[in-house]
Amino acid sequence: MLFRQAGILHTNYAQDRALFPIPADRWMIGGLLLLAATAPLYLNSLYLSSYLLPWLVWTAAALGLNLILGWAGQFHLGYAAVMGIGAYAAVHAQRAGVPWEIAIVLAGLTAAVIGSVFAFAALRVKGLYLALSTLALQFVMDWTISHVPAISGGTQATLQAPDIRLLGQAVTSDAGLYYVALVWCVLVTTFMLNLRRTALGRALVAVREKDYAAAVIGVNSFYFKLVAFATSSFIAGVSGAVLIGTFYHAVTPEQFSVDVSIQALAMVIVGGLGSIIGSYFGAGFILLMPGAMNSFISWLTGLFGFSLGIETLAHLPHALYGALIIGFLLLEPLGLGKIYGNVRDYLLVWPFGYVKK
Amino acid sequence: MAAITEAKAGNILTLNNVEVVYDYVSLAIKGVSLAVPQGGMVALLGANGAGKSTTLKSISGLLAAERGEVRRGEVAFQGQPINALMPQDRVRLGIAHVLEGRRVFEHLTPDENLIAASAVRSRHDAARNKDRVYSYFPRLFERRGSAAGYLSGGEQQMLAIGRALMTQPKLLMLDEPSLGLAPFLVAEIFQILSRINREDGLSVLLVEQNAIAALEIVSHGYLIESGRIVMHDTAEALKRNPDIQEFYLGGAENKNFRDIKHYRRRKRWLT
Amino acid sequence: MDILLLLESALNGALVGLMYSLVAMGIVLIYKSSSVPNLAQGAMVMLAGYVILAFANQLHLPIWAAIPLGIVTMFVIGIGIERVALRRLAGRPIIMILMMTLGIEIFLRAGSMTIWGGTSRPLPIGISDSPLFLGPLLINRAYAVGAGVAVVMFVLLVLFFRTRIGVVLRAISDDYTAAWSVGISVERGVALSWAISAVVATIAAVLWGSVQGVDQSLALLLLKGVTVAVLGGLDSIGGALLAGILLGIVEGTASVVLDPLLGGASRELVDAAMLILTIMLRPHGLFGRHDIERV
Ligand SMILES: Nc1ncnc2c1ncn2[C@@H]1O[C@H](COP(=O)(O)OP(=O)(O)OP(=O)(O)O)[C@@H](O)[C@H]1O
Ligand SMILES: [Mg+2]
Repeated sequence: MLFRQAGILHTNYAQDRALFPIPADRWMIGGLLLLAATAPLYLNSLYLSSYLLPWLVWTAAALGLNLILGWAGQFHLGYAAVMGIGAYAAVHAQRAGVPWEIAIVLAGLTAAVIGSVFAFAALRVKGLYLALSTLALQFVMDWTISHVPAISGGTQATLQAPDIRLLGQAVTSDAGLYYVALVWCVLVTTFMLNLRRTALGRALVAVREKDYAAAVIGVNSFYFKLVAFATSSFIAGVSGAVLIGTFYHAVTPEQFSVDVSIQALAMVIVGGLGSIIGSYFGAGFILLMPGAMNSFISWLTGLFGFSLGIETLAHLPHALYGALIIGFLLLEPLGLGKIYGNVRDYLLVWPFGYVKK
Repeated sequence: MAAITEAKAGNILTLNNVEVVYDYVSLAIKGVSLAVPQGGMVALLGANGAGKSTTLKSISGLLAAERGEVRRGEVAFQGQPINALMPQDRVRLGIAHVLEGRRVFEHLTPDENLIAASAVRSRHDAARNKDRVYSYFPRLFERRGSAAGYLSGGEQQMLAIGRALMTQPKLLMLDEPSLGLAPFLVAEIFQILSRINREDGLSVLLVEQNAIAALEIVSHGYLIESGRIVMHDTAEALKRNPDIQEFYLGGAENKNFRDIKHYRRRKRWLT
Repeated sequence: MDILLLLESALNGALVGLMYSLVAMGIVLIYKSSSVPNLAQGAMVMLAGYVILAFANQLHLPIWAAIPLGIVTMFVIGIGIERVALRRLAGRPIIMILMMTLGIEIFLRAGSMTIWGGTSRPLPIGISDSPLFLGPLLINRAYAVGAGVAVVMFVLLVLFFRTRIGVVLRAISDDYTAAWSVGISVERGVALSWAISAVVATIAAVLWGSVQGVDQSLALLLLKGVTVAVLGGLDSIGGALLAGILLGIVEGTASVVLDPLLGGASRELVDAAMLILTIMLRPHGLFGRHDIERV
């Protein structure tokens, strides 16, 4: 099979600490990147812009949340609000004539600064109380965005986002927007992959496991929590800005409501806490599930010749989505990433399964 | 040694080669066998981490709460294997476990502690048992109205024992009841234990590090070391045993560390 | 500022606050027995409202029969939720448990709307619209009834916790290993607390449904419930009652003062601010126990 190999021989530390020590993995990553880069050639623009693109942006966002939730172990129920801050910051900057490249950096920085407010909550309390205070902060930010006309754009409440311009060049084609999303997603993924290997990444994990124990061995949990929240907020802010720039093209408060925060959480949980590949799976799963569910239901109703009310059709996917979260927590709490890992571990030594035992 | 274990028929509790693992991996006791005769008082002695509490939990079924399980061996109560029973069913059969460190319900009054502990008994029995507990521990009666968290350590230990008695046990297991108590209190509590044992025929399995006090009231003792029973004898014989005197009764001041290591090695040999 | 208007808002606020307490008490009940913060309490209120309406409208039962049937149904549903979703998560990290209650929230909310639709329906329980007068102050009759029921509910719960079963539940919340050691069936106790909490949610559903109709907005009571529960101390029923009154008064007066300044809808802001302030300044609430997760 794809992964089969007799063993792993490393002759120096660099090899041991490589991102992908197994050659088959390197081939696979290369192949996937190639597929992603050439996607506009073989996918029609509907798929490209309404499935692939939001998936990539949401994956980047989910990775940012995973940094806080999966690695630093800090609950965050206000992630969408932070994304919203980035989105609004970018749109306002653009409307003020700031080039888009700089606008999204501004978006990230604004989000990082305001998002660090959440960190101050995390420095005082944890667990349940952190979850509740971040939830409350989400409400405060929602409220602020929608009630301050200077932010939300006044009574019309929808703020048109100017077209993206990169190096003075307007990017409006589906393929162009797709590449913007792809680059952002790859950037975040690379950052997260490397974070695992840095002192920061290890310190975060230490803080997650037991913050006072981490403190005893000299990890300043105060500092690392702050850094974790700031970093993840930066990613959230830019992701929010990219989402508006490439996908929604207009920004409203509802795009970043508490439901969206829960959706982001669901992506991380379904994908697997702390799993990078899991964030891809989780984001894809949560985004595609309602659509897939709708087609499935209409297929079923067609098959059995009954019809469902509009209300039922509108709410059923949502209910199933709740059921899915419950199901994942009960059956595979570590999510799709773990399932993938299990399959991969199995294939790694297939057909010599006994090697592991 | 053999002569004592062979009272099979009259044993209320027998453990046969019980092995316990925590978290599916860590082996805490490795084949413990012991027996408590009907109406008898038996001590289980051993150092920190030897596996005393684990043994008791394997009997009361509380391992489940700590992700532990009996992987091998049999726990039999009154001749019936009870390995598969839930903790509450074992309590109903008559096994009571006084946890290490007292663990009273802090926000409840002593009175309520006793009521809560009668969940497996009828309301009528509960009232009767409560009177009995108060007669053993009059001090609890005096303090029955204030939150148990504010009781003194000795009173809390009495409450913990009283709470166990509320379940109408046939076998009472106590995990280090002397922990952190003044000697006169320990003596008082042990007095009451032997009184209950005498008057009601309650069988007692007493886990202790305070071997001096424990060996005064029990008839037999087991010595457990790193998860294995290494010695079993009458209380009299154990008190005379030089090893026990050295390491559990605090005799022989002038021994040095090398002798201790030597002793440990010798112990392993024996088992 | 019109002092009478302020007084009137404070008074009505206190009554509404007592109705929030009903939601909070459900959260407290579950938290007390199993340390699970139930973020699905609002959705349970909503579901209860729909269940009662189903008995009343679809089976054409009179409301006085639909309500007890709703209570019984919710009792069973409460047990079911604990049995299916929560029991297996015992001992898991709080992140998982919170996420589970959120999943239940989504499932119950969307599930009720899948079955019964999202349009708001009235749940008339025969309280007249005409206000009560207390001197010159107008009092909303429905709020007054709701507040009265909340107080009765509180008294009933306090009495319940004095009974044998109630004492057992409190013992479980104190130390569940010790509870196990004396033969208490901890799982059954926790299931019972979910059942009672679902019943309390049903009562809340009747009162809130009669005030604002039955629809998705009932689930939004969660924020109020959580704020009141935390403010009162998460494991204190009495705390929930007093915190409800407090939040209601603050909300009522703040909306009079702030609404003209902020352009309306200041209640949510006040709730969120109260929640944050409580957690930051006094995480164990006004009447909660000290053992609290703090860094
Ligand atoms: N919940 C647990 N999970 C994993 N290992 C455990 C657990 N409880 C006990 N152990 C291990 O099992 C062994 C026996 O522990 P046990 O508590 O039975 O000792 P003990 O004889 O009661 O000691 P002490 O006198 O200190 O109470 C120890 O090595 C301990 O580390
Ligand atoms: Mg012990």
